[in-house]
Amino acid sequence: MIVNNGGTENLEITMSSINTRSHKAQKVIERMGKKLNRQIVGSLVACVHCGMCTNACHYVLANPDDPTYAPAYKADQIRKFFKKHYDWTGRVLPWWVKAKSLYTDEDLEELKDTVFGKCTNCRRCSINCPMGVDYATFNRMARGLLVSVGVMPEGVAVVSKDQWEIGNQMGVLKEDYVDTLEWLAEELQEEWGDPNATIPIDRTNADVVYSINPREVKYDPRTISDAALIFYAAGENWTMPSECWDMTNFGLFSGDDDLGGAVARRLYEKVEELSGKTLVISECGHGYRSTRCEGPNWGKLDVKFPMESSVITMLRYIREGRIKVDKSKNTTPVTFHDSCNNARSCGLFEEPRELLNLVCSDFREMYPNRTENYCCTGGGGAMSMSEYTPRRLKSAKIKADQLKATGAEIVVTSCHNCVDGLTDLIRHYKLGMQVTQLVNLVANALVIEKKVMVPVEEITADLAGYRILVADDEPDFVTFVATILEDNGAAVMRAYDGDEAIKMARHEKPDLMTLDITMPGKSGIEVFEMLKKDDDLKSIPVCVITGKPELRKLIYDRPTTPDGYMDKPITEENLLINIRKILKVHHHQETVESKKQI
Amino acid sequence: MSPLLHFSEHTLQEAALAFMALAYITRLTWLFHFKAGSDRQAPTGAADTTPRRGILYSWFNIAMPWAMESTRTKMFMYIQFIIFHLGVTAAIGLSFIIPYAPRLLDSRVAAVILMAIIGAALLVGLMRIIRRISDKYMRAISSPDDYFSLLLLTVWFAFAFLSVPNSTAWGEWHLLTYFFLTAFFLVYVPFSKISHYLYYPFTRYYLGKTLGHRGVYPMKHARQSGE
Repeated sequence: MIVNNGGTENLEITMSSINTRSHKAQKVIERMGKKLNRQIVGSLVACVHCGMCTNACHYVLANPDDPTYAPAYKADQIRKFFKKHYDWTGRVLPWWVKAKSLYTDEDLEELKDTVFGKCTNCRRCSINCPMGVDYATFNRMARGLLVSVGVMPEGVAVVSKDQWEIGNQMGVLKEDYVDTLEWLAEELQEEWGDPNATIPIDRTNADVVYSINPREVKYDPRTISDAALIFYAAGENWTMPSECWDMTNFGLFSGDDDLGGAVARRLYEKVEELSGKTLVISECGHGYRSTRCEGPNWGKLDVKFPMESSVITMLRYIREGRIKVDKSKNTTPVTFHDSCNNARSCGLFEEPRELLNLVCSDFREMYPNRTENYCCTGGGGAMSMSEYTPRRLKSAKIKADQLKATGAEIVVTSCHNCVDGLTDLIRHYKLGMQVTQLVNLVANALVIEKKVMVPVEEITADLAGYRILVADDEPDFVTFVATILEDNGAAVMRAYDGDEAIKMARHEKPDLMTLDITMPGKSGIEVFEMLKKDDDLKSIPVCVITGKPELRKLIYDRPTTPDGYMDKPITEENLLINIRKILKVHHHQETVESKKQI
Repeated sequence: MSPLLHFSEHTLQEAALAFMALAYITRLTWLFHFKAGSDRQAPTGAADTTPRRGILYSWFNIAMPWAMESTRTKMFMYIQFIIFHLGVTAAIGLSFIIPYAPRLLDSRVAAVILMAIIGAALLVGLMRIIRRISDKYMRAISSPDDYFSLLLLTVWFAFAFLSVPNSTAWGEWHLLTYFFLTAFFLVYVPFSKISHYLYYPFTRYYLGKTLGHRGVYPMKHARQSGE
């Protein structure tokens, strides 16, 4: 049987091999022919197994006893079936060059474990290979092949689905997105007493169309308001699209060029529809690479308008005198983490340093840096693949040591993925550092001379005086909830696993606790049970917030039920309503109890 | 010179070379069957990082041990690499000098230099064999071809070393072995990893072009420490 695969190669597959090969394995082999190009084939045939790439990989450095993490070993897991089917050396003498086909779905699962679970596509080995073998590129190809037959980590499937169907990778609905922007605009106007301090939506002929990462809407809206403040201070004619605003692209991580092309095209078409002059991409490594560099290739189109990172935009504003900054406003020691996609795939590493030196008084370099920096370990979509979390955190030791050696208290990065990866490893290795982005530091350092002070009604921080413990294993989510509660006056304590939650509850005796169900160590259910059995703690009201509503039964089947319950994702409004309600009811109950006692 | 030695130095080498050339032409034709990926994006990075500069930097990257962390931090490995490849060049050169310009070896200095280079390469070959066998990372990534190619090259160095004086005073066995091994190599190389030098210009060209266009190559300022 002859299978023609895109005119690149005729793939002979005997009837006997078809009989012993799974359908998915067969498809992977066939589709490989369509994905191969000269660069990839060159990288697949040129490796001499010299081992020089080995120590370039953070997985290897953190797992010195396990050679299966070596880049050349991982590359060989892809190379072996390439050789078997597309290279004569593997066809003639397969055992001689370790060529081997894929036969079963188990083979595909093993390959999945390597290409998704043991590599973040950071490209550090590529720039350390004497032969110029670009492993990261064909690792992405292998990911794409597996995704095409439905073999991928669950998180990759979920996020890809959201980006295909809803248009952004966190499934943010249009109304929630627009509501958030309007709320942020109102706050900005209130703060500056100027109706022009706003977030224009769908303004046509704007000089800047600003695109963001959905994580900003969902977990980190402060980055949007800080960017808005900078645009306002610079007097920029700017806008944000109401739709097709997501500059991230899971196609980069999943290896799915069709998804990559579709997502990029949506954003490009939106900018053209609005007649925007420049597309500015907020701080996100993979978003910048996908939108600025790979999108035109995946989408097979030539983009007519210029695109730039917001880092370059902010730096330009300062250079042009459009905004003024005072570095004495940021005095805490900071270091900078280079995103792999920015530094090793887009050459964006000098501008962030120049900007940092303009807005911070104590910037400390991290070593190695720039194109030789180590991955945050959350790249390549790793943050969405929870099955590999222990592996990821173990490999993060390298980054943790790098961070610690700087002596800085804040690590700055121009990538949302890195923010998550770094936050997680900082917590895991107890480094006590904060993670922030350049937009936050620039906004904080802004000197706005013509600030219009209009007397505004004092906003009552109605949670002032309350102490709330937030327990959840997702650092992003904890930050999101904590920010909202703190903005409303509450003092917030954070716990990232069940044991820590119990310990903090005992020590701090909070007025309320939000509790996730699935957490490392003790689950939320166990924590809830322990709280209710403890005389000192049982009066603490608990609001369960979970992403797994199917587990709700486990907690509601108990004699004592929580005081509140919310399904993820949550909105700010819902969270505040629930928290206020629980505290109010609790206060009322306490009053009744004390009256009874009197 | 026996007819067998004459055959091994001339006819056999020429036939093996012709075979290798044919195999390489076939191999390159195969490689060029695959379309080159295109880059539609506008350039990123500093203005002085262009595809052209990226390609040049990438090609000569191997001659700049300071440019890559992998070579910078393993200088001993890098020196081994240089000696080994100089040895290969010298041993190949010898296979042309003996049949076509034997008088060059009348110069004692030239002969000593050749022997020193090939002898050093032989030592490096032995060290590489030990490394490939004793290092668990190297074992994990090695195929039979990797072991065989290295072993064969090391043995070839040994016979090249003995053949430099081009003397038959102790018989022709060392010269015969050297030339038969050379011929075997010429036939075997296109099927083995030793043919990596054929791909080097292409892999490095494309990596350099991409990273030059994207402002990464030539790499600057990456440092391991603040010193």
